[in-house]
Amino acid sequence: MSFREKTHWAAFLALAAAFGWYFLAYPWAMVSTDAGVAAVAAMLVPVTIIIIAVLAVTAAFFAIRAPKEAHLKEDERERSIHVRGTHLAYYPLVLGAWINMIAIFYRFSPGVYLNLLMATVVIAELVRVGSQLYYYRRGY
Amino acid sequence: MAELPFTNDIRMLRFLMCEMTQGELGDRVGVTRQTIAAIEQGKYSPSLEVAFRIAHVFNRPLEEVFRWRQEKD
Repeated sequence: MSFREKTHWAAFLALAAAFGWYFLAYPWAMVSTDAGVAAVAAMLVPVTIIIIAVLAVTAAFFAIRAPKEAHLKEDERERSIHVRGTHLAYYPLVLGAWINMIAIFYRFSPGVYLNLLMATVVIAELVRVGSQLYYYRRGY
Repeated sequence: MAELPFTNDIRMLRFLMCEMTQGELGDRVGVTRQTIAAIEQGKYSPSLEVAFRIAHVFNRPLEEVFRWRQEKD
């Protein structure tokens, strides 16, 4: 498994775990209140810190174990895997944007829009990293 | 996954070059070991530049490293 594939696994698991916790622990009963909006901000801080910390620690760990691999430049196969993953992530991103636009007509609270937008970005990111992992495993 | 329309003799050529490893070939070509493995197994179609670089390492013409499959009629 290459250095980039390992860091992709770390990113995928960190994203799934951190935002899994966020969406499970979020106080949905107060989503329509000002406190619900404040809760989004308050919960995003630890989620962001956890993701950055996991990515930094795992990248450093794998780089120390295999420094040569960590310094290798991205080659053409890896670049093409990244392009494919980003391309696939575009679809959930657009779908999420449309859902948000339609939701505006139903006059939800800002907390609902914030969470919808965040779910859109998280799903798109999971599709991007997940599909890249799939292509890494398949060879291309 | 669709089968590539060409095969290659990279594994045999590596063996003939003093059992060169995939990592060593990757270093000389400028790609990762995993990319060489994917090319060798017919999972990834390399760019023309990488194909020429591989042939250059083995000091062979391109068509001795990569061979077009006979089309089935």
